[in-house]
Amino acid sequence: MFFNPGIIALFISSLLISGMVLYASFYGALILRYWDIKSGSETQLNLERRTYLISTIISYACVFQLCSFFLFIYTADTLHPFFTGAMCAVGSLNVNKWGFPTVILKTITFLLAGLWLIINFTDNRGFDYPLIKVKYLLLLIITPLILAETIMQSNYFLGLNPEVITSCCGSLFTADTKGVASEIISLPRSVMEIAFYGTMMGALVLGAVFYRTGKMGYGFSAAISVTFLISIASFISFISIYFYELPTHHCPFCILQKEYGYIGYFLYLLLLAGGLTGMGVGLLMPFRQMPSLKETLPAIQKHLTLISVICYLSFTAIATFQIIFSNLKM
Amino acid sequence: MIELQNIRKVFNEGLSSEYIALHDLTLAIAAHQVTVLKGPSGSGKTTLLSILGCMARPTAGRIVLAGREITSLPERFLTDIRRQTFGFIFQHYNLLKGISVIENVMLPAYPQGEPFSLLKKQAADLLKLFNLTHKAAAKVEWLSGGEAQRTAIARALVNQPEVIIADEPTAHLDTRLSREFMDIMRDFKAQGKTILIASHDPIVHESEVVDRVVQMRDGRIIDAGVI
Amino acid sequence: MIKSIEKQRNIIDFTLSSLWRRKGKNLALLVVYTLVVFSLGSVMFFTQALKNEAAIILRGAPEIIVQKLVAGRHELIPMASAQTIRAIRGVEAVKDRLWGYYYDPIGRANYTLMVPEGMDLKENEIIVGAGISRVRQVFRGNALLLRTYDGRPISLFIKGILSPESELLSSDLILISATGFRRLFGVSGDDATDLTVTVLNKKEISTIAAKIVDKLPDARAITRDEILRTYDAVFDWRAGIMIAILAGAVLAFLIFAWDKAAGLSGEERREIGILKAIGWETADILQMKFWEGTIVSLSSFFLGVILAYFHIFYASATLFEPVLKGWSILYPEFRLTPFISGYQIAILFFFTVIPYTVATIIPAWRAATIDPDVIMRT
Repeated sequence: MFFNPGIIALFISSLLISGMVLYASFYGALILRYWDIKSGSETQLNLERRTYLISTIISYACVFQLCSFFLFIYTADTLHPFFTGAMCAVGSLNVNKWGFPTVILKTITFLLAGLWLIINFTDNRGFDYPLIKVKYLLLLIITPLILAETIMQSNYFLGLNPEVITSCCGSLFTADTKGVASEIISLPRSVMEIAFYGTMMGALVLGAVFYRTGKMGYGFSAAISVTFLISIASFISFISIYFYELPTHHCPFCILQKEYGYIGYFLYLLLLAGGLTGMGVGLLMPFRQMPSLKETLPAIQKHLTLISVICYLSFTAIATFQIIFSNLKM
Repeated sequence: MIELQNIRKVFNEGLSSEYIALHDLTLAIAAHQVTVLKGPSGSGKTTLLSILGCMARPTAGRIVLAGREITSLPERFLTDIRRQTFGFIFQHYNLLKGISVIENVMLPAYPQGEPFSLLKKQAADLLKLFNLTHKAAAKVEWLSGGEAQRTAIARALVNQPEVIIADEPTAHLDTRLSREFMDIMRDFKAQGKTILIASHDPIVHESEVVDRVVQMRDGRIIDAGVI
Repeated sequence: MIKSIEKQRNIIDFTLSSLWRRKGKNLALLVVYTLVVFSLGSVMFFTQALKNEAAIILRGAPEIIVQKLVAGRHELIPMASAQTIRAIRGVEAVKDRLWGYYYDPIGRANYTLMVPEGMDLKENEIIVGAGISRVRQVFRGNALLLRTYDGRPISLFIKGILSPESELLSSDLILISATGFRRLFGVSGDDATDLTVTVLNKKEISTIAAKIVDKLPDARAITRDEILRTYDAVFDWRAGIMIAILAGAVLAFLIFAWDKAAGLSGEERREIGILKAIGWETADILQMKFWEGTIVSLSSFFLGVILAYFHIFYASATLFEPVLKGWSILYPEFRLTPFISGYQIAILFFFTVIPYTVATIIPAWRAATIDPDVIMRT
């Protein structure tokens, strides 16, 4: 365990976020139990007032979650000199078994909180709280995940042992070790390139179709989700090397360092925002026929689609630009 | 215009301090008329007025506004409707101290999202109408009673509402200002606005502008008046 | 879209005027908030700056230092050990170093004495740090009187004063010739304080260090990375302790902020009641409260950060030098190289703005849900 300001900050924020979502889901459960839109009783009026509080809390939690995602990776990065073999965040995250699961869980909880906000936004446009049950059920799913993340993060920090010799991106992200990462890298480059540009094209075309006609919403959303994963894999496989200008450097985290002008933050933000909004479109699909949402929902989905497409397009543009104009030629 | 059906309002429901403010009230308010709610304090006038003005939701019953049922609309929609349909004039005017007259008049329109410059022009026009242009930049606490009253009325008009709701508007005014107030109401009526006033002041309910007087006591209507 | 931007503009406009109308209350909050950011910021900037200085200094440090230990304590090392180390494959060069401390009863301070490499000093010549020059009031051309290990006075001629730029390390430093050093402390010509080793292949440093310890069981080999890591850990630890202490202050501040946010005056309640009555919605009031918090937080945060920056880098961290430093007594008047990173700002943000925001959510919501008809019933 280290007594480092970054770690303390993450501890505090995780505890605060956990407290917030616990509080919110307590009232969420009350809403699920006692909600009755037809009634004008004081209980109902109180519950309606609570919905304002809960959406405020989750909005903040979502933003904090995003901040803490980046702070976590950055802190892991600053800790690497303490571990033999670590050269960046990857090495530090590998010190014990909790590092990577925490990162993944942070991503998932951010996405879920974001989706919650999308549903909430939509729900607020309907005059009879059409999505109230969906919304608070989702909240009850998010809460345990955030709690689990807090526990995992604590385990990670408490289990940091400088004696451990860890393996870093140099060995983890090479073709000759075992694991998901190395399998991605050992895939032929052309396969990954086709997969990346293929799914990206597919997602963007479906986005355009959905934007114009309102059809293929599920397809678009699914394509966006698949492209999200493929993009991360492609980044490790063949995009990253052009940023590092090193044919053997496949790390997904080094890009966040200062040496690369913090471009990594921008790229990941684009990917997260694009993924989130695209997934949101699919999540809203089942409610298109609801009487109180018929009018407003298509417009909301169009907006989300636009944001999603713009984000993914920018991500692809930056990556392609780097591949073409990098000093590294393959 | 506004229809109330079996409206019931209970405070502190289920507690020992439970208090029924309105008992299954049914009432229809006609458009373009001046209606006065009359009754002693505690008779439920103010509660009824706040339900009519979409400020509070009834515990039970239905409200139909211009043909649309709005009883269980969420607050954000109800507020939207209220902002565009009703203009309120309160007993103590309830102007915000410390800010200027013109800002006070503009306040109800802030959440509408109109450009600031347009808002300012609308407010300035209203002040001109009420002879308050020279006071536009003054703080409200420096106004005389009559000026404060006219500011409050101007504020009620800034969103161009169809209905004006006034709660005991003359309670703190002398006779001259009370008559002046009723004169302004007459102009509004002539412009086709619907006016609702809660008052037990004879100057108000005996005024010839008034079309209908609804008498209340203990949360019930004892005389619905002639329509 | 345009509408919602205009709406936010209108709300911000009103928020600013409300904040201004309650200057007194808000100023108190601003001052306390700024103070909290300032204290935490100072701690973080200071430790980071020290870490950086240490890294800069250590860049020039030897890759491996070999020291002899007797009963667990650092002893003089025989020059013969250098030969043993030179015989190890992969060692590029071995050099002996002479350094030590001298307690000066007149200046009431410990001086650090070092024999510099490649500097031509005569037996009775020295170069002193600016701190010593100041304390003893001796300058270039003067003589400094010290006592040898056996009590005899020795007069050393000051050839120069070290430039004040490097004062963090050189304030209490005396550079002396090897013969002068041996005479002053009675160190025989066969011994050195320690040995430094340079290695051909930088990747082999730890292997070579292990081999040295193997050949010289009574010695320890300290690698540069190890020192750097230890410094980092020590500074982080100190910063952590300071933050833990300051956590009390942050907590007090949060309670204060909560209280300020929750304890609405009658006047404020009336105002929110009026706003709601004339057509503002709960969400509008919440937005107003959000802007209020943002304006207060950001102004305090930036003010606190700027003040902390000046405190550390231009006012020499006057306020807590004694707590965080502990290097030597002759420490004064140094300036740290200004350095600030987004990471530190982010952490500071996590320590102050996020807890503040969380503490004010519920009070803001309470205020925003005041019933619009309340003002009609009073």
